[in-house]
Amino acid sequence: MNLLLCVITPFLGAALVAAVARLGTWQAAAAAAGVTLAAGAWLAPLVGGTFQGTTLIERYTWMPREGLDLTFRLDGFGLLFALMILGIGLLVILYARWYFSPQDRLGRFYTGMMLFMGSMLGVVLSENLIQLLIFWELTSLSSFLLISYWQQRTEARQGARMALTVTGMGGLALLGGILLLGQITGSYDLSVVLAAGDQVRAHPLYLPTLLLILLGAFTKSAQFPFHFWLPNAMAAPTPVSAYLHSATMVKAGVFLLARLFPTLSGTPEWTWIVSLTGLTTLLIGAVFALFKHDLKGLLAYSTISHLGLITLLFGLGTPLAALAGVFHIINHATFKASLFMAAGIIDHETGTRDMRRINGMWGVMPYTATLAMVAAAAMAGVPLFNGFLSKEMFFTETLGTVAQLRFGWLLPLTAIVAGIFAVAYSLRFIHDVFFNGAPIDLPRTPHEPSRWMRLPVEVLVALCLLVGMLPALTVEPLLAIAARGVLQGPLPPHSIAIWHGFTPALWMSLIALTGGVLVYEGRRPLFALAARLEGRLEARRPYDWLVAGVFGVARWVTVRLDLASLQRMLFLFVLSALALGMAGFWSAPMPLTGAGPLLPFDPVSLLVALGLAACTASVVVLHRSRLIALILLGAVGLIVSLIFAKFSAPDLALTQLSVEVVTIVLLLLALYFLPQSTPAESSRPRQVRDLLLALAAGGGNAALAWAVLTRPAESIADWFLTHSLPGGGGANVVNVILVDFRGFDTLGEITVLALAGLGIYAMLDGLRLPAPAADAQGRAWDPDAHPLIMASLVRLLLPLALLVAVYILLRGHQLPGGGFIAGLVTAVALIMQYLANGVAWTRARLPANLHPLIAAGLLIATMTGLGSLALGYPFLTSSFVHFHWALVGDFELASAMAFDLGVYLVVVGATLLILIHLGLVHDLSRPPAEEPR
Amino acid sequence: MIELLTSILILTGALFTFIGALGLVRLKDFYCRLHGPTKATTLGVGSLLLASSLWFSTRGTGLSLHELLVTLFLFITAPVSAHLLAKAALHLRLKSLAPAPESETSGT
Repeated sequence: MNLLLCVITPFLGAALVAAVARLGTWQAAAAAAGVTLAAGAWLAPLVGGTFQGTTLIERYTWMPREGLDLTFRLDGFGLLFALMILGIGLLVILYARWYFSPQDRLGRFYTGMMLFMGSMLGVVLSENLIQLLIFWELTSLSSFLLISYWQQRTEARQGARMALTVTGMGGLALLGGILLLGQITGSYDLSVVLAAGDQVRAHPLYLPTLLLILLGAFTKSAQFPFHFWLPNAMAAPTPVSAYLHSATMVKAGVFLLARLFPTLSGTPEWTWIVSLTGLTTLLIGAVFALFKHDLKGLLAYSTISHLGLITLLFGLGTPLAALAGVFHIINHATFKASLFMAAGIIDHETGTRDMRRINGMWGVMPYTATLAMVAAAAMAGVPLFNGFLSKEMFFTETLGTVAQLRFGWLLPLTAIVAGIFAVAYSLRFIHDVFFNGAPIDLPRTPHEPSRWMRLPVEVLVALCLLVGMLPALTVEPLLAIAARGVLQGPLPPHSIAIWHGFTPALWMSLIALTGGVLVYEGRRPLFALAARLEGRLEARRPYDWLVAGVFGVARWVTVRLDLASLQRMLFLFVLSALALGMAGFWSAPMPLTGAGPLLPFDPVSLLVALGLAACTASVVVLHRSRLIALILLGAVGLIVSLIFAKFSAPDLALTQLSVEVVTIVLLLLALYFLPQSTPAESSRPRQVRDLLLALAAGGGNAALAWAVLTRPAESIADWFLTHSLPGGGGANVVNVILVDFRGFDTLGEITVLALAGLGIYAMLDGLRLPAPAADAQGRAWDPDAHPLIMASLVRLLLPLALLVAVYILLRGHQLPGGGFIAGLVTAVALIMQYLANGVAWTRARLPANLHPLIAAGLLIATMTGLGSLALGYPFLTSSFVHFHWALVGDFELASAMAFDLGVYLVVVGATLLILIHLGLVHDLSRPPAEEPR
Repeated sequence: MIELLTSILILTGALFTFIGALGLVRLKDFYCRLHGPTKATTLGVGSLLLASSLWFSTRGTGLSLHELLVTLFLFITAPVSAHLLAKAALHLRLKSLAPAPESETSGT
């Protein structure tokens, strides 16, 4: 249970944080920290067992037929990642409290962060691979929200979109890889997959599986040639970069490499692809980092380089290399997160991130400078800091290939070159920012940041030092269980210590350090060269080209399919429907009239039908005078509802009636903005053509209806009629179908309705349209917008109409009525208030924010469904009891009524939301009206 | 007795409805025609509903009061629509048979 709770807590906490954030920034930060601690608390009791080497697996049945269970797994490697996610998360929460300015909405940041934290925990604690992928995609989505936190900035939106595109495509590839893996091993459970390494590697589909999975991992971990999204994601706030782009999300890719290491590694394909990608990324990242003038750009490329290093280590495939890889994951997370935070402090204090302008900060913030220097030394691989230890292990591992391969000596050589550049850019980060003369034209006067902003950096830097000096005492146990989790077997003999004697690896470290200092000394010609090459080596070029290409193809297809004319599209649509229908009829000729009995002729029905036809024809003829056409349309709707009543469908009649009213009001509101006269657009021959087509299509429909209705047919109606009362406890079959038999459909429908309402709200909010100041004849509008008699009488009408609505809602299960109709009646009653009294008057008296109403409706409907689930029945099973109350008489209480209440609330909320905002567009667009008399 | 009462009410209602319809056709200008449907139809339909209420209340299935609610709604809505129609007519400056009042108001 604990693992499930640990993963779910941040997701639930996201809602809590969003709610608490209204109270203030401190409260938001405290809530976020509380949620993080709570997630950690679920994990805490399991830590002891994991250190003893047990692998905990929790399984909950989810979709057993699809082989998809909700399964969680905790082993040493998962625990290491979970600790990093929670620990660094906690520090980032504290840091962010001081980083953001008062104008930024901190609640949104913390909410996004909680969502990300939950997704990331899900990735590292998943046992089922499909489930892992779901969380994997969730990290992409939540990181999109975090990167685009400053939505008003173009580069933030672009960076977020690019990160989502690249990692999303990678996720798609990963899905393919996982499906193949599942096919090969017959299970999506990690335990099975990890044990089936030999089977997978021998399988003919091994290579495609490997490639697809690597695509997923490489895009996520910003490996060459997909690395370009990471520097562009630096438009995110620095806490996001410190959390996502150093410690957690980009590590998800290498996490996957490590997780599937026992299954996929050990083949030449693995070694070549993974190590070459890692090597290229390592080198390119290190070189590019030196030439970035942007503080965060330098760190981004350095991150790419370090991720390449980790990838390379896993690519080498030896157990010791994997161990070094895990070690470097830990070290990189600590020093890079602290460096990002330091960069954030500098950015926060100086107002810029350009290293050509930020100089001489040592004099202003010596304390921060010391912290940054320690972290940068760790990044460069200076002895006594943690980066040195894993880097030395890395150098040792690269030497292992010299004897094995023909050009094996290239590997250590490239490693040294990358090491040299790593030292050079670390040196630049320190020297350029903290020394190198005086600052140039800073937007703000910098000083030491608040104590609390430095605290997270201090913690991380202390870790760098502790691990660097006392590795055996601090990191060794955690590293051991994590590496055991990766290897799924015994650990290779290793010793993590500062001093191993004068080994080749030590010499390599020394060469890198000296070389780095020399390169930085001779940087001026190199910088000049980089400035000349600026923009030519951009890896995002092919990406941009690709995106533009995809857009081009989409546009090409759209232009050819979409004629950009509603009339022509409709013409084609009706014509093809007609042609297909006729083809179907002619290919299997049948008598038009079936064998069923006809109803007796009745003159009233004929009269009504004639009236309907007359109204419809008038709409066609008079469609250019819009108001009259609209009134006729209303008449058509009323006649249809009469027809429903005649043919014993009172529910439909009621629904039709109320829908008609709402529709007419809606159209009237919209009509205000349309041109008041409609020009004749069709030529005479075209009108004739359209008329013929319309007659043929209408005639065809009529013939079809005639053919269907005259045939005796077994319909499903009988089943519903017999089962409605015993099965659903309601005599009103229509309502029982809606809320019980087809309750899931209804739930979907009200969700769509809610979304449609919100969508329309989003489009109308704040919209201004050119509104006519006078009618078609040039008469000014009547200044008395809300006549007194109407205004006062409509107020009187409201309680009566609400009474009717409640009555219809309550009796819905037995007699004509129900949530939909009651909702529409209520909406009409409330809309009348807005129409008669004006939006301003009504908004002052009725809650203006309708979103909670819609949410409450959806929540009630869903909860009703979940309630039956909690009692052990399938989703949305309804139950009912009959009561007898002395005065009221016999009545029945069904859980479906609660569901109907949800339907009612959603209908009221969505309808009102749409109509009110259309009305608000009126008020906004109207020229300021003169005061009424 | 009930039948007699119901019949009288129905006939009254029918008569008023007829008069209202006749007025709508025969009266000379818009303002006069407005009287037909609004005043007479209110009374006409009101009587018919009273008749319905009376009839169904004495059939042994309990009091039938739906009609009262219908009447109430009618009494609320009919004057509103009449008022709005009249306002619209004034705003559009429809011709009236009656002489214009001495001080011209601006159609409000």
